[in-house]
Amino acid sequence: MKAKLIMTKDLVVCHPDQTVLEVMNILREKSFRVLPVVDENNKILGAVNMLGVLSKLTPEYIVNGDLKSISYAPDMGFLRTHYKEIIDHKVIDIMDKNPTIVGENESLLSVTAALITFDRFEYAFVANKENVLLGIIAASDVVRSLAQFDPEVLFDA
Amino acid sequence: MHESASHVIFGIDPTWMAVSILLVVYGVIMAEKFNRAVLSLLGAGLMILCGVLTQQQAVAGIDFNTIGLLTGMMVIVAISQKTGMFQYVAIKAAKVVKGDPWGILVMLSVVTAVFSAFLDNVTTVLLIAPVTLLITDALGIKPYPFLFAQILASNIGGTATLIGDPPNIMIGSAAGLSFYEFLVNLAPITPLIMLVTIGCIWFMFGKGLYATDDAKALVMEFNENDAIQNVPLLKKSLFVLATVIGGFTVAHSFHLEPASIAMFGAALLLLLQTWGQDLHAKDHAYEGIMAEVEWTTIFFFVGLFIIVTGVEHTGVIEMLAHKTLELTGGDFNATAGAILWVSAIASALIDNIPFVATMIPLIESMAPTFGGADQLVPLWWALALGACLGGNGSLIGASANLIVAGFAQRAGHPIYFLQFMKHAFLLMLMSIAIAHAYLYLRYLS
Repeated sequence: MKAKLIMTKDLVVCHPDQTVLEVMNILREKSFRVLPVVDENNKILGAVNMLGVLSKLTPEYIVNGDLKSISYAPDMGFLRTHYKEIIDHKVIDIMDKNPTIVGENESLLSVTAALITFDRFEYAFVANKENVLLGIIAASDVVRSLAQFDPEVLFDA
Repeated sequence: MHESASHVIFGIDPTWMAVSILLVVYGVIMAEKFNRAVLSLLGAGLMILCGVLTQQQAVAGIDFNTIGLLTGMMVIVAISQKTGMFQYVAIKAAKVVKGDPWGILVMLSVVTAVFSAFLDNVTTVLLIAPVTLLITDALGIKPYPFLFAQILASNIGGTATLIGDPPNIMIGSAAGLSFYEFLVNLAPITPLIMLVTIGCIWFMFGKGLYATDDAKALVMEFNENDAIQNVPLLKKSLFVLATVIGGFTVAHSFHLEPASIAMFGAALLLLLQTWGQDLHAKDHAYEGIMAEVEWTTIFFFVGLFIIVTGVEHTGVIEMLAHKTLELTGGDFNATAGAILWVSAIASALIDNIPFVATMIPLIESMAPTFGGADQLVPLWWALALGACLGGNGSLIGASANLIVAGFAQRAGHPIYFLQFMKHAFLLMLMSIAIAHAYLYLRYLS
């Protein structure tokens, strides 16, 4: 089984000069967890995801775990303030510049390993050698392909 | 003692070899391009490979009392910090003063100083500085004055006890000065230095600190009880900390070295920490704690002790001591003053650990001039005060300073080198002047 056989090909993408607000609206309306950011040749530049945007709203000393748990702190209002500051920015300013990318011909095992080891957001982009976006694989896609047990596809493809 | 100095290695005199190794290693450490532990171990290896020292002599030069005390305290702190007690105390302190910004600055500085006196400065600021950022964010004011005061407080607090700062650990171990002696001789002057420093900070920043009533109310909404992560572990940690500090205080009467007490405390807390869990969970927790021990610092010390021993074997340090005594005319007061001020300036600009490692044998070899090792005690206090307080002179003066600067940078309020030095260097000189007056009145006049 190879990455290209289980990936979702029908993708919504965004471009680096779109505003954060536009992209957040797409994410919310379609209930997506992530949007790839691509250039005019469909090459991958980065990714925008909800958790990544939330982490941009939160002070760095909280995001990087310096404080560990802050269950003692009240809601101090800066999430809302920072949200208002960030929504007019361009996507390129806030995107995750190192999303997990797997090759189209990588094995299911290799894709699973990449998801577990490198990715915090349960997905990987599939790209060809020129880094052109071909599809996306979520952790659930891997599990689905395991459930649809088909030895022929499993061993021959 | 100097038998190796008679050999000539590769046609090079071992004295020159040893001194070159020391100077190159210290120079490259100051350039901050390579890890200091790696450099010191390379230097130590060269001392042996070049024949300045035999391996046996090198190992004999490592002060295992310093190593043991540092490692033991690191283990105890690594476990205790998981309990949330630092955060609890910091938030409690902020609420005691009803969220008033100046009150918070003073309280957090005092908390930092007290924790730094009994635990290491780096851990203290590592835990207090992020809470400070959270509180100043709640107050809606710039964190710089708070972090500035905490840097100074951590180094002043660290001066007070044998275990407060690595230079003190090294000095106590080399000179055979006990925890109790440090407490009686150094701790009394630190509150005055702290008071004067805080007073100056009031004139520098105090009037500019203003927070709205809403912001103060927000600070009062913090719930310190939620900061405590693990009550059973907190009890165990406090028990072991109290036992160890009590042990340090009485150690000398029982002819025990502080390292034995710290390592025993560490082993006891490692045992208590996972009491009742299965072996797998115990091993997992144990390995986690071991990974948090700063082995880089430990190996840095090991290498450094060997390098300094190498130079000591060649007799160069003894020669430098004689030169120093010539400069001070062999006058005890002048020598103590010189040690204090030179240590302070040097520690502000270079790492105070290698500096102190080099100064220790230098001072030791002054013993014959001043009538024996017992007469040197005020000189040790001068070295400790100079090396610890000197760390306040610049942003690179102590590791804790750099840790705080790192947090400030990540929070979007960077502390600049020259800005810090402009504020801190004079305060440092003032603290040294107070220390000088104290030394003079108590030991020298």
